[in-house]
Amino acid sequence: MLDDIIYLDHAAATPIDRRVFASMEPYFGELFYNPSSPYKQAVAVRRDYESARATIAQAIGAKPGEIIMTAGATESINLAFSAASGHAVTSAIEHDSVLAAAKRHDHTIIAVGESGIAAAADVQAAVTDKTTIISVALANNELGTIQPISALAEIVAEVRRTRLHQGNKTPLYLHTDASQGVGQLDIQVARLGVDMMSLNAGKVYGPKQVGLLWIKPSVVVEPQIVGGGQEGGLRSGTENVAGVVGFATALRQASEKRKSETARLQKLRDYLQKQLVEAFPDAVLSGNSKRRLSGHLHISFPGVDAERLVFMLENDNVMVATGSACAANKDTRSHVLEAIGLDPAVIDGSLRLTLGRLSTEANTKLAADKIKQAVSLEMKRSRGQA
Amino acid sequence: MSRVYVGMSGGVDSSLTAALLKEQGYDVTGVYMKNWTQDLPGMKCPWADELADAKRVAVQLGIDFKVFDFEAEYKQKVVDYMVQEYSAGRTPNPDIMCNQEVKFKLFLEAALEDGADLIATGHYATVQAGLTPPLDPEVNSEAAPHPLKAVRGARLLQAKDSNKDQTYFLYRVTESALEKTLFPLGEFTKPEVRQMAEDRGLYTAGKKDSQGICFVGQIGMREFLSQYVDTKAGSIIDQRTGDVLGQHDGAIFYTLGQRHGLDVGGGLPYYVVGKSMDKNEVYVTTDLNNENLWRKTINLANVHWINGRPDEASYMIRVRHRAKLVEASLKQTDNGVELLLKDAERAVTPGQSVVIYDGAICLGGGIVV
Repeated sequence: MLDDIIYLDHAAATPIDRRVFASMEPYFGELFYNPSSPYKQAVAVRRDYESARATIAQAIGAKPGEIIMTAGATESINLAFSAASGHAVTSAIEHDSVLAAAKRHDHTIIAVGESGIAAAADVQAAVTDKTTIISVALANNELGTIQPISALAEIVAEVRRTRLHQGNKTPLYLHTDASQGVGQLDIQVARLGVDMMSLNAGKVYGPKQVGLLWIKPSVVVEPQIVGGGQEGGLRSGTENVAGVVGFATALRQASEKRKSETARLQKLRDYLQKQLVEAFPDAVLSGNSKRRLSGHLHISFPGVDAERLVFMLENDNVMVATGSACAANKDTRSHVLEAIGLDPAVIDGSLRLTLGRLSTEANTKLAADKIKQAVSLEMKRSRGQA
Repeated sequence: MSRVYVGMSGGVDSSLTAALLKEQGYDVTGVYMKNWTQDLPGMKCPWADELADAKRVAVQLGIDFKVFDFEAEYKQKVVDYMVQEYSAGRTPNPDIMCNQEVKFKLFLEAALEDGADLIATGHYATVQAGLTPPLDPEVNSEAAPHPLKAVRGARLLQAKDSNKDQTYFLYRVTESALEKTLFPLGEFTKPEVRQMAEDRGLYTAGKKDSQGICFVGQIGMREFLSQYVDTKAGSIIDQRTGDVLGQHDGAIFYTLGQRHGLDVGGGLPYYVVGKSMDKNEVYVTTDLNNENLWRKTINLANVHWINGRPDEASYMIRVRHRAKLVEASLKQTDNGVELLLKDAERAVTPGQSVVIYDGAICLGGGIVV
């Protein structure tokens, strides 16, 4: 079934890996117990759950006790922002969940240029004495551009030193949503230098509505969901054992395959990019082309209505994303593309093509042909009406 | 090649309309009319999916697609009208108003302005334009009591599928609008339309028909109205004895002939036979033959004739959508028309429309006083 589709939207969702699914299955059946129950059968499930947490911790270079399992990345981000009491700094190209969470605080949203990369100096300039959180995604979900998290970590360290010196006791945390980078980038928390990191299983061939927040022991978050006191009291609710076990399997596989998969995707992406740019010399590539995820290609065909391309390609089982305004609402153009200063015509003609494990040489070639065909048809049609 | 702008709603009827016109060689542009809807905070607008479906079909057909925004006008001409009519104690028909004011006025004007020669919709009705040729005997089989007169201009005729015929909703459209309108589905039945949509692989072929008035949506008329009108509880009174039988939550919510939702316990079911908006009272009866439930004489105001005033004579009339055609003789009065029905009709409700036919021809109609 998955062999028949040409899926170029891995940034939106990924299919659950067969082995991930197999690892989850027992917990829907014979191992369905509530991990909090007292009998030994349930205690075994509790052990499996904690062992999955340990696997996850290992994949990000953290301790198991520093990880709070959540229902997806949005919840994780909301929880991360609970650590902030004062001012928040984030960038204009962040995911809606980050922007919405930041807007609950006094906040500064820094502008981002056409490179699609937040400048560390701009973040630094936005930090005030009252700033308690900086949140920038490791990789942008639309452009695939990789953000300078380590540079931000250095800034945070410097601010902390200054505050210590001045006797300012306001804590400052660096948070990153690394969901888009898993499987392609290094997500070892120590190397990134962050204080909090969000991840989403649904982007890494694991189940949807499973995610986590990693926090450094010094970070204090406020539970957003209270109840039975699971996850160290920071996230109540019966543990999603199957989901977390699947997440662990998914992360382990992602790190095993990281190097080879990154190289493979880059080759396919570069091929696709070359095909489209050669066929349409007026096409616009957005975001820094060096510092971007290897499976990401953001390309625009100015004057073409990309929503029409989506509807045309879906009939060939080719699935792509667009940052264009949906016809329903002119105000729904991608805020990311607007933030980096793209013209409305460029935004409305934009496709986000994200390759991943479903991409093969053969279907990427077919995808290039289908997209070229669709774009040509649309160009011809819109010229005809003019 | 004539340019036709097709009103595409995202449903199967308007999808096939666009497909058929394209096959017939027209230069077709699909247009989604954005009408007024209530936006609920934090929720995706409910019509976005309909619009996307309309656009999908346009892309499938390789035709241009546009969105015309009539939100403000629709709110004023249709929604406000409806609320106002209910507030006055009547039971309006917003679909008729939508056709009169939006689809066959604003849309037509905007389309012509944009370069269209004609418009089309997926209504089940037929337009006969030019010097009227003799009617198709099959369409005419409802036995017109009067010989047809040849007219220049355009006539509105019932659809072939009498079960789906939508001329009831179209009787207030003007002749000049009809002259610029195509209804390609008028000659097909609904099952034929579905089959043809399927044969063409149209994305919307299997979609369920939409129900009810779009902007009232899921919440229902009662909830909708209570957001716009202050209502208070009042008495439900037995019309015959004058006894108070119970309480209602606002006379505005009740309509003639209504049986359910009266909350009056025990015995035979009660029916609404009248109400007073001033006193906020609803009158009911158990008598199925109550004189207020049945009318033999109907007076219509706000009368609209598509091809001019017809002679005083006997015609077939319809008191609600899909109601059986019944015979009545028409008399012109100072304020409109008076219809004398051959047999009394049940629950002819003020605010609703009565539509008058001469055989297959929809002559027009008016609003029950």
